[in-house]
Amino acid sequence: MQTKETIVCRCEDITLEEIKSLIDQGYRTIDEIKRVIRAGMGPCQGRTCRMLIAQELAKYYGIPVGEVLMPTFRPTVRPVKLGTFAGGE
Amino acid sequence: MPKVKETEILIVGGGPAGLSAASAAANLGASVLVLERDGKPGGQLIKQTHKFFGSKKQYAGDRGYQIGDLLIEQCGNNPNVEVWTDTTALGIYEDGVVTAEGQAKHLKINPKKIIVATGASEKMIAFPNNDLPGIYGAGAVQTLMNVHGIVPGKRVLMIGAGNIGLIVSYQLMQAGVEIAAIIEAAPTIGGYLVHASKIQRAGVPILTSHTITEAYGDESVAGAIICKLDESWQPVSGSEQDLKVDVICLAVGLSPLTELCFQADCQMKYVSELSGHVPVRNEYLETTRPGLYVAGDVSGVEEASSAMVEGRLAGISAACSLGYGEDIAPKLQAEALAELSELRAGPAGQKTLRGIMNLMDKGGAVC
Amino acid sequence: MLNKTGIPTAEDVKKVSPSEDRLKKGPVAIIECFQEIPCNPCTEACKQGAIQPMEDINNLPKLDFDKCNGCGVCLSRCPGLAIFIVDASYSDTEAVVRIPFEYLPVPQVSDKVVGLSRAGEELGVFEVIKVQSGGQKNKTYTLWLVVPNDLAMDVRSIRLGGVRHAN
Repeated sequence: MQTKETIVCRCEDITLEEIKSLIDQGYRTIDEIKRVIRAGMGPCQGRTCRMLIAQELAKYYGIPVGEVLMPTFRPTVRPVKLGTFAGGE
Repeated sequence: MPKVKETEILIVGGGPAGLSAASAAANLGASVLVLERDGKPGGQLIKQTHKFFGSKKQYAGDRGYQIGDLLIEQCGNNPNVEVWTDTTALGIYEDGVVTAEGQAKHLKINPKKIIVATGASEKMIAFPNNDLPGIYGAGAVQTLMNVHGIVPGKRVLMIGAGNIGLIVSYQLMQAGVEIAAIIEAAPTIGGYLVHASKIQRAGVPILTSHTITEAYGDESVAGAIICKLDESWQPVSGSEQDLKVDVICLAVGLSPLTELCFQADCQMKYVSELSGHVPVRNEYLETTRPGLYVAGDVSGVEEASSAMVEGRLAGISAACSLGYGEDIAPKLQAEALAELSELRAGPAGQKTLRGIMNLMDKGGAVC
Repeated sequence: MLNKTGIPTAEDVKKVSPSEDRLKKGPVAIIECFQEIPCNPCTEACKQGAIQPMEDINNLPKLDFDKCNGCGVCLSRCPGLAIFIVDASYSDTEAVVRIPFEYLPVPQVSDKVVGLSRAGEELGVFEVIKVQSGGQKNKTYTLWLVVPNDLAMDVRSIRLGGVRHAN
């Protein structure tokens, strides 16, 4: 292991450094970060990284983690193959 | 036209809360459909090999998997209960239709009432090299060992001395795996002290006020550096220890699995005592979306004994709202509420009680 | 401190220990349960009426040492594996300590095992004189160890053997 990486989003292989750098650049919400870097868009749909990103935002803005705006939740809660929709009734 | 499955009560999740809700509602006469993601219902109970606490009413003294079998049997014997395994709920829509995926088919269900009993997911922590092979969540280790009969490695560092960290350490020891240490960032052990004592007296150290600073290894975990934390949770320099382990197991807490509640537009609130965002609900576990109930870890992370009682309460309440068992439901509800207060009355339950008070208080949701 | 290490202090243990006289009289339960948690199977296990029913399920168990005959039913029922039986009347120099056991392999009668303290420290090599199975459902074994008199209140576990590795 040459570089020590701290992974925040396992599905999309996104590091803590990357998240911190986006926050430094002014991205303010979990949704904004998701849109530029895909954190939370993998198979687990953000179950691993969501609150880790929330913690970083809370730290940066000096607010309680509960006040960090949650992303929008839409169906489906997990990735579904297109074939499932096509084959379903 | 797509076929839509009609049911009176749809229960999402076939764990301790969902199964208890199913048989309680079905006993009053309601027809119930349970969606279970796995091939077999029972949730986390099927992996629990230790004896449960509580009283006879919550099957105290029986082992978790035995309680799971009992709940599965109760549902199996009840003609009002249908269980769809290998089926995952995907969404709750404005018109009340719930979609699911089962046997690679997209399914639509139109229930009169919904009980969300999805449980919780494991939290992760950020530390250098936290993606090395050999780093597992505690739940994954339990699944490997107790469902598939595979040990994860030879020597384990357990992170977290809550009940899950302690219990999974014990199960690893029972499987012949060595535990190098259990570390806990908090100054005190979070889990039940009887679990801690039985592990400690078998020679495994429990180190409170300790954290992991990094994992290392080329292809997979070869070791971990841990260090002591001072009173303000800052690393104490010079306190680093190098532990040669091939497995690092994370038992750093659970988050309620509330995606479906968010989707259903339930009013949500972050309550740290309940381990995350949880839906605001009334005493009978109905959320702010009428006809949608919650039970178990999704409504606040707690022990399985309380999850079973909450399931029963939600099941009775949902059935009663459909006109079933109106004569006896109030009595059954009162019994369940009494059991819950009993389970939460001690020092261990104070955190949950504070959390629930917090949740009910002001109603000031932030999301 | 118990809540930092999982090791009960001498004061903790003293609170749940019977008198020297009672210990000399024969087998008696030592309930090393120090935290109020919702749990009461021990009260229902006791057929002697020695463990009093709890007013609140979170109460600590209360044992009447004079009513306790050391039968050991509570030991095998306690979900926390926190109950031990000590018989200081075994011989002039030795006592029997019964401990709950849920590991593999299960020691056999006349095996010698390494006894451990509450902190997991080695206290010596002791003989197993009896092994009781908890049965199909319960599954918790009870091991009877012969230990020197002065260690009767210290031996609470054994070194695990037969470590099985992956690969």
